[in-house]
Amino acid sequence: MIRYTLTRLGLLVVGLAVASVLIFLSLRVLPGDVAQLVGGTQADPAQVAAIRESLGLNVPLWQQYTAWIGGLFRGDLGTSLLTGTSVVAELLDKAQVTVPLAAMSLTVAVVVGIPFGVLSALGRRRAWGTAFSVGAQALAAVPVVWAGMMLVVVFAVWLGWLPPQGFPRAGWGDPAAAFRALILPAVTIGVVEGAMLLRFVRSATLQALGQDYVRTAAAKGLTRTRALLSHGLPNVGLSVITVLGLQIAGIIVGAVVIEQLFTLPGVGRMLVADVAARDLPKVQGELLALTGIVLIVGFVVDLVHRLIDPRQREAA
Amino acid sequence: MLRRTALATSTLLIGALLLTSCTGTTTSPGPTGDPDPNATLTVRLSLEPSNLDIRHTSGAALEQALIDNVYQGLVTRDGDQNNAIVPALASAWQISPDGLTYTFTLRDGVTFHDGSALTADDVVTSLQTAKDDATIQSSADLAGVTSIASPDATTVVVTLAQPNSDFLFALTGRAGLVFKNGDTTNLQTAANGTGPFRVENWSTGQSLTLSRYDGYWGEKAGVAEVVLDYIPDQSAATNAAVSGDIDVALEIDPELQSQIEATNTFTIETGLTTDKGTLAFNNARAPLNDQRIREALRLAIDHNALAETLVTAQPLNGPIPPLDPGYEDLTGSISYNPDRARELLAEAGAENLNLTLTIPNVYPGTLATFLVSSFADVGVTLKVDQVDFSTWLTDVYTNHDYDLSFVRHVEARDFGNWANPSYYFGYDNPEVQGLYAQALASTDEQQSSDLLAEAARIVDDEDAADWLFLSAPRTAVATDVANFPKNSLNVRLPLASVTVAAE
Repeated sequence: MIRYTLTRLGLLVVGLAVASVLIFLSLRVLPGDVAQLVGGTQADPAQVAAIRESLGLNVPLWQQYTAWIGGLFRGDLGTSLLTGTSVVAELLDKAQVTVPLAAMSLTVAVVVGIPFGVLSALGRRRAWGTAFSVGAQALAAVPVVWAGMMLVVVFAVWLGWLPPQGFPRAGWGDPAAAFRALILPAVTIGVVEGAMLLRFVRSATLQALGQDYVRTAAAKGLTRTRALLSHGLPNVGLSVITVLGLQIAGIIVGAVVIEQLFTLPGVGRMLVADVAARDLPKVQGELLALTGIVLIVGFVVDLVHRLIDPRQREAA
Repeated sequence: MLRRTALATSTLLIGALLLTSCTGTTTSPGPTGDPDPNATLTVRLSLEPSNLDIRHTSGAALEQALIDNVYQGLVTRDGDQNNAIVPALASAWQISPDGLTYTFTLRDGVTFHDGSALTADDVVTSLQTAKDDATIQSSADLAGVTSIASPDATTVVVTLAQPNSDFLFALTGRAGLVFKNGDTTNLQTAANGTGPFRVENWSTGQSLTLSRYDGYWGEKAGVAEVVLDYIPDQSAATNAAVSGDIDVALEIDPELQSQIEATNTFTIETGLTTDKGTLAFNNARAPLNDQRIREALRLAIDHNALAETLVTAQPLNGPIPPLDPGYEDLTGSISYNPDRARELLAEAGAENLNLTLTIPNVYPGTLATFLVSSFADVGVTLKVDQVDFSTWLTDVYTNHDYDLSFVRHVEARDFGNWANPSYYFGYDNPEVQGLYAQALASTDEQQSSDLLAEAARIVDDEDAADWLFLSAPRTAVATDVANFPKNSLNVRLPLASVTVAAE
């Protein structure tokens, strides 16, 4: 197990290193220039050159990269070219919106996906079971943006139960308002992700139902449902954990889109604004942090999988 | 679940339909009571600044939020009075008969938000720094200044090398703003000005909060707090207005206007701007260095139909908008005539012409679609290249690598771009350059304005560009809000005299 953990940790580090190079280089080939943006449409080339110098953009690329990586080892993701604030501080600030949003979305996805997935498998030969799976198919195909717009129309504008956009200026200083502001965005992401989870849980459950050990349990007198619950579900749970790990990446992408739609001051909206402003040191810090989260989640999922699955432990 | 999903979907659709058609909300107009000095005014804006450093960072968003509210210069301009120049930190000024010496009398009792008093030295240093440091925005506006001095504590004298009829106007812009000498405030994220509001809090990606500055030299602000709420998405902004989250919404989408009107708590106002929707032709490069082709393209556009399509726009013929000196009504200088356009293209040997339009992706697709079909009608194939603004700045603005380009030139009095052959328009006409120089050097306002008008006629006659439209944005103002400004709000949003009635 220790050897396995170390190997996976090594892979994680290699993954992060490769990601850092890719992020750094891909941002450098992006057209556009922050100095030009700062100077605007009244600046002549000499002024733009002066701005470029004052922003420290004339340093060779490899030096910029090594300075950035050097900072990473000290827990410093860099500083914004435009505001001089540290990327870590900005991320922590915006994470107060994005992390609760992701957590709530994941909760909604799990609440929708797992029970209804199992139910639709159990009822696969009945009308309601088919309806669940067709409904999930349709919901999973709905673009997040459209789902969000419709939810806003009904629950915010029409019924007036929830705010249509924005986040309270007091942030979590006003917990009730902050929570209410995140409900519609979280449901929007959660329902669409939940529908995908539902389809997965359904097929995993169906597979478990066909396994010998479930049939044997049923043959020994258990009802099919009891047999599934006590013997099949632990196996379903294993694969669900893997899928959930993948869905966290989906939820992060969803948050970037949904934060634009609901005008939420989170990491996604900051990232989009920073790309537009070509604040590259900030963008690369943000991207690396997001990549890091996805890689670390993958790492944790692998470890958990191994911990709770005796077959994998014994195989090793 | 199938049936439920179908039911839910149809409920949603019906809801959406009802919403666009119903006018059922019966909120009565707000009470027109006395102004509430403790009120908070929430204003929806679309474009957030990338930092607060107004000296070094371009973009109309900064001027809009900060000039007149937080920072001030010696003079400012009044958008609702035809951009007339009015006193700010200078209570009065005199211009010598030769137009070379400007003597400003500083106002008494002006303090910065940190409490320190404004001195003549602050003014001199601010202007001198703006002139000397090329990284400061609009530094070039002060290029003709030969000396800045303060003979006594309440006087500042600025001397020019030659007369400049735009000089006072330049002082209403960024180059003229006055900062505290040796200020240690981090101006990228905070501010220290002399205006009626101080920057209370900037929550990036969300809002900029201004609070009344009680030590202000003039009449104190009418509301205790202003929240500039940055909501880029039009439907989110409309929803925010409908649900009462905001008091004023700038640049509302005319398609969604009826939803706001249905609440009966807003009035919709239309303002004048100097925001010129400019279809630039690359005058320096084939094929658009051929005037016949440029004229043909202009003739292919039905400007009235375009203005109707865009709704918040009106036709503009010629480079100078009505709020600027030198404006004259050039209606009829070019009118929709696709037959003549085809003839001209044939004369120029340019049948089956292929052109590319480079357009920043912040503008609605309607415009590009309109141009594609207008040009297709006369046999010109237009390829639309949507880029982000940063790419536009590099490719079009800096490298001049384009055929046609569209951006909105929001600045007032920017005719000088037509007299600058190295500007991205690539328009080089010594006669226009001469007239513009004379207009600047003239000390007589009327004469200066006449010279600009003459130059503008030439630019228009030579079809140096097409001025597709002048923006006429709509503002939704809650009925309990009074004295909200009307014109040029995309570059100046003076909020000191705005009041909100007590409930």
